[in-house]
Amino acid sequence: MNTTKERQETYYESIIKSGYSRRDFMKFSAFMAAYLGYETSAIGQIEHALKTTPRLPIIWEHFQECTCCSESFIRTDHPIAADIILDKVSLDYTATLMAASGHQAEAAKHETMEKYKGEYILCVEGSVPMGDDGVYCCIAGKTAEDQLRESAAGAKAIIAWGSCASNGCVQSAHPNPTTATPIHKIIKDKPIINVPGCPPIGEVMAGVVVHVVAFGRLPELDRQGRPKAFYAKRVHDSCYRRPYFDAGLFVEEFDDENAKKGYCLYKVGCKGPSTYNACGTMRWNGGVSYPIQSGHGCFGCSEDNFWDNGPIYERLTNVPGFGIEANADKIGMVATGAVAGAAVAHSIASTISKRKEMRERVVSGKDVEKRVE
Amino acid sequence: MAERIVVDPVTRIEGHLRIEAEIKDGKIVDAYSSSTMVRGIEEIVKGRDPRDVWAFVQRTCGVCTTVHAIASVRAVEDALGIVIPPNAEMVRNIMEGALYMHDHVVHFYHLHALDWVDVVSSLSADPAETSRIAQSISNWPKSSVGYFTDVQKRIKKFVDSGQLGIFANGYWGHPKMKLPPEVNLLGVAHYLEALEWQKEIVRVHTIFGGKNPHPNYLVGGMACAVNTDDPGGINAERLAYVGQLLQDGKNFIEQVYLPDLMAIASFYKDWGAIGKGIGNYMSYGDFPTNGYADKANFKFPSGVILDRDVTKIYPVDHRDSTEIVEYVNKSWYEYTGGDDVGLHPWDGQTNIKYSGPKPPYEHLDVDKKYSFIKTPRWKGHPMEVGPLARVLVGYGSGNPEFKEIVDSALSTLNVPVTALFSTLGRTAARGLETQLVANWTMEFYNTLMTNIKNGDSRMANSELRDPALWPAEAKGVGYTEAPRGSLAHWIVIKDGKTANYQQVVPTTWNASPRDPKGMMSAYESALIDTPVADPALPLEIIRTIHSFDPCLACAVH
Amino acid sequence: MATVSHEFKRIFVWEAPVRLFHWLNGVCILVLMATGILIGNPPAFMSGAEATNQYWFGITRFIHFATAYIFTLNMVYRVFWSFMGNKYASWKQFFPYNKKGIANTLFVIKDHVMLQNEKVYDFRKNFIGHNPVAAISYSLLFILMILQVVTGFALYADNSTWFLPKMFSWVTALFGGDFNVRFVHHLAMWGFAIFIVIHVYLSMWHDWLEGRGEISSMFGGYKFVRKERVKD
Ligand code: HEM
Ligand code: HEM
Ligand code: NFV
Ligand code: SF4
Ligand code: SF4
Ligand code: F3S
Ligand SMILES: [Mg+2]
Repeated sequence: MNTTKERQETYYESIIKSGYSRRDFMKFSAFMAAYLGYETSAIGQIEHALKTTPRLPIIWEHFQECTCCSESFIRTDHPIAADIILDKVSLDYTATLMAASGHQAEAAKHETMEKYKGEYILCVEGSVPMGDDGVYCCIAGKTAEDQLRESAAGAKAIIAWGSCASNGCVQSAHPNPTTATPIHKIIKDKPIINVPGCPPIGEVMAGVVVHVVAFGRLPELDRQGRPKAFYAKRVHDSCYRRPYFDAGLFVEEFDDENAKKGYCLYKVGCKGPSTYNACGTMRWNGGVSYPIQSGHGCFGCSEDNFWDNGPIYERLTNVPGFGIEANADKIGMVATGAVAGAAVAHSIASTISKRKEMRERVVSGKDVEKRVE
Repeated sequence: MAERIVVDPVTRIEGHLRIEAEIKDGKIVDAYSSSTMVRGIEEIVKGRDPRDVWAFVQRTCGVCTTVHAIASVRAVEDALGIVIPPNAEMVRNIMEGALYMHDHVVHFYHLHALDWVDVVSSLSADPAETSRIAQSISNWPKSSVGYFTDVQKRIKKFVDSGQLGIFANGYWGHPKMKLPPEVNLLGVAHYLEALEWQKEIVRVHTIFGGKNPHPNYLVGGMACAVNTDDPGGINAERLAYVGQLLQDGKNFIEQVYLPDLMAIASFYKDWGAIGKGIGNYMSYGDFPTNGYADKANFKFPSGVILDRDVTKIYPVDHRDSTEIVEYVNKSWYEYTGGDDVGLHPWDGQTNIKYSGPKPPYEHLDVDKKYSFIKTPRWKGHPMEVGPLARVLVGYGSGNPEFKEIVDSALSTLNVPVTALFSTLGRTAARGLETQLVANWTMEFYNTLMTNIKNGDSRMANSELRDPALWPAEAKGVGYTEAPRGSLAHWIVIKDGKTANYQQVVPTTWNASPRDPKGMMSAYESALIDTPVADPALPLEIIRTIHSFDPCLACAVH
Repeated sequence: MATVSHEFKRIFVWEAPVRLFHWLNGVCILVLMATGILIGNPPAFMSGAEATNQYWFGITRFIHFATAYIFTLNMVYRVFWSFMGNKYASWKQFFPYNKKGIANTLFVIKDHVMLQNEKVYDFRKNFIGHNPVAAISYSLLFILMILQVVTGFALYADNSTWFLPKMFSWVTALFGGDFNVRFVHHLAMWGFAIFIVIHVYLSMWHDWLEGRGEISSMFGGYKFVRKERVKD
């Protein structure tokens, strides 16, 4: 089927062609701007971008993953996934959804890599096993690392989906049997957007894609390469249970009276105070709820190394190197106690060892005592 | 001369599956199924707090998200003798039911349909005729001529753009594509509609588990406390939301999924004779209605069928070390006691040891080890697990609900019972059980409502959450029926920590390599004799493979 | 052994700014530890009151943050004074790493820590300002204080719109997330506990063994030295 045309149609044309009016189009642009938190003056900019750009080609690689990121992506509520992949981007390769298999699939990918060199966005889901020359993940007979380097070479930018691609996720937890590695540790010469979360919220994923499409550039990133629009605040900072935290009202045990009242989950291990994610503000699956609203603490699924920062149901993690049982407070108490013990021992030893010196002092002191008038 | 073809990646599945097949005279004569990705989750959970393990193992798979968590909390509860409150049991059932509805619909439309539905052909359809067909098979409101005309326009515009995205290089115009353009248009329209629908039903998970994929579970029950008088708990609004979502989900299944399934199947009856497979079927049983301990009251009955003889159902015992064992004779692992013995999961080992060809490679060395999937056997037999197995075990157990749906489907399609043992049978069984699960899930919901109405608001049993109360050593097994089939996790707890953990997963059963006796597992065996019109285009291979709904992240873990 | 006299002369050691710093610092640390422990491990507070009617945890945190500011400013002030004050307050006191300083350090370790008796009486037994081992402990404490300020303000940065805490937001990225920052901040608290035990004990020890008003010096500013050490 040879339908390639000289000039690809723009979003504007494609939207008008699908029967929407210019007014609908303006509304869509305004919505996008509002959604992404832009000033009204940006609406014209979005409108212009959508009017002049062909659908953005995307190659979506799958490595060591559980595919929950793809699943989360198709859950997005605004815009919905069908509209993104039909109207906004051209998802030219993703093993999860594409019609073609085997050679046909690889051919489709290579076509995009050549035709849109330097223009396509590479999305990566999953980590790359670097152990034993990469044998722990092979696709079409090539290692994940080779596949990644090949498809990254011509990419304009990379989106690292989920905790797997941005921090290694569960397979990189101790002892990391396959040396699972996040993308930013392998590809150093491309802009990378980290979108952590296990998985990230669907609307966050859509928002990142829409940002790139609508503005033709990457969203502003924080020091850890995450879009500020979604990762600037901690879950705790926007948590609706926060008043209970400030009031010191805590769930002590699951399903206790306090749990039924919706008190703060801090003491059953909530990691909201140290987790940067949009769960508290955007909530999940179209804003229906989020872990804390459903009674379970946050376990920090968007933070680096969160699997080894457990246990999940305790506030303080275990201290590495001190055996599994020891947490900071136990070590602190033991150390302080030991030092206090040493002080007592030292005082006893001093009394004995320095007795001569002291005797002298006592003698001269008593002498003065006698001589004083 | 046989020709060796390779399909890698097999797409529209979860994970990294590679099929190598020998084709002779237009038919497959030998086949090898391999998964080429491993993470080592069983090793990673060792030494961790058993109460945390569900979260790790849930990340085995984001497609069948929740089932590994359920298997895990059940395994820990089994080991420690924790009995969960009835509400928690119902909430877990409802969440698993919602998963079935989601997963099976997404499989049908987004992972399987493009094997049968020709997107390009839908452009030449007459929308008026599509509308007539749609209205003749279902009451679904979105069936007007205008509706299908719009969809067709949208697809036309999409194809005209020259950027075909996920439809690029598909098997359009393949001689084995049999649907008339009008039915293709119906399929494409519902592909898009199902994509929009699926994001709704998962909200059941969001309400009880806080998010989807990967909702939260809890050893001892569920974390979502019930409080009908507080905005902080599961209250009337939350429950009504769940009720609405389940009802909408059921409607979609009855009015879109099942009619489409039957309509499409009626053009592909020849596939009732292709993809037979091994003929042994197993179901562990699931959906407790009277507590997990009372297997007799599971909605999905438990049992094994050997050699397609549905008149005899054998029992399964997860604790018997001679029943379920796993081999690694063809898998990239090593057992300390030698690779030709089978190990029961409580004694299982996961010592990853790759010995395949150095990448990049053209072919696997199938005479040696060739996959990261282990090979499980039940009393030495390979087993097919999944919707077809469940439906057959239900049917064979004489359960009237199963009898009714199976008989009615067979008569609608006008095919014999033997047509069930096939690619078509698997795909049909998946739809049929979705209908049953949708009905049951409403029952679970009603039970939960009645319970709460009667004043029982318990959701978690925290009595034994403290490791100080646990025995020094304990063993447990948690099993469930995941959408793709029988799933179980085995745990050994020592001194409050996870000493050993083994998962034997549906796709492990189906997609595994050969056992020491050289017997094939389900995928390989189902591919034998499948006709392949053009060896360069693997359409028929992926049809049969897709009928199992592969999940390789699950299979290897 | 009448080789040394027991006659003493009063000497001014700790200037008022040093004394003020010392006690303010001590109080701040005790308050920060107490509130920090409460933040890290809130006690079960099974109150029937509604959240709108109580705010104890918020108040605890407020006290922690307010004290943190005082603590930080006080510290900055002490650094300033180490360039302005007398020789005992000088920054040089905290780096006893020249030849003499090292010899003194070894001496103190032998005498105070290992409790070895010296054959001949050594004037060094009674240092005027800090002894070099104490100086090392204050340097370590100072590092600990900086660590606590840096991690504390990093944790605080996202609660605040003010530039000062915001200046510390790089710390989070450096530590690989707030989780680790919190963990280090919490663990470091025990460093203070250990310091206090040793420091208070040794202050009393010196006071008791040397009898020249070690403890009172931090109130009044004066210590006492043997007559022989003072030039006429
Ligand atoms: C001697 C000095 C300090 C000690 C011993 C101390 C101790 C602690 C402890 C034990 C915690 C609880 C940590 C946890 O387990 O979550 C804490 C929390 C905290 N500290 Fe400090 N801290 C000190 C100084 C500071 C300073 C200088 C700041 C600067 C602003 C600071 C800011 C914080 C903040 C923001 C928190 C987190 C409170 C929350 O968000 O709930 N701390 N501190
Ligand atoms: C009863 C309580 C305390 C007493 C009697 C006391 C006494 C003293 C004395 C006598 C010195 C001078 C040491 C010397 O000559 O080498 C000193 C110095 C110092 N103490 Fe304390 N102290 C007390 C509590 C604390 C606490 C709680 C802290 C902080 C955790 C602290 C931190 C310091 C520091 C940093 C110095 C060095 C002062 C400087 O040169 O600026 N002290 N203390
Ligand atoms: N095989 C498998 Fe799963 C399922 N259903 C799990 O147990 O898919 Ni991801
Ligand atoms: S980030 Fe988490 S959820 Fe996403 S693919 Fe990885 S394991 Fe799955
Ligand atoms: S539930 Fe968690 S995120 Fe919410 S206020 Fe409490 S500690 Fe913070
Ligand atoms: S666990 Fe993850 S989903 Fe949100 S509330 Fe915490 S970041
Ligand atoms: Mg396993």
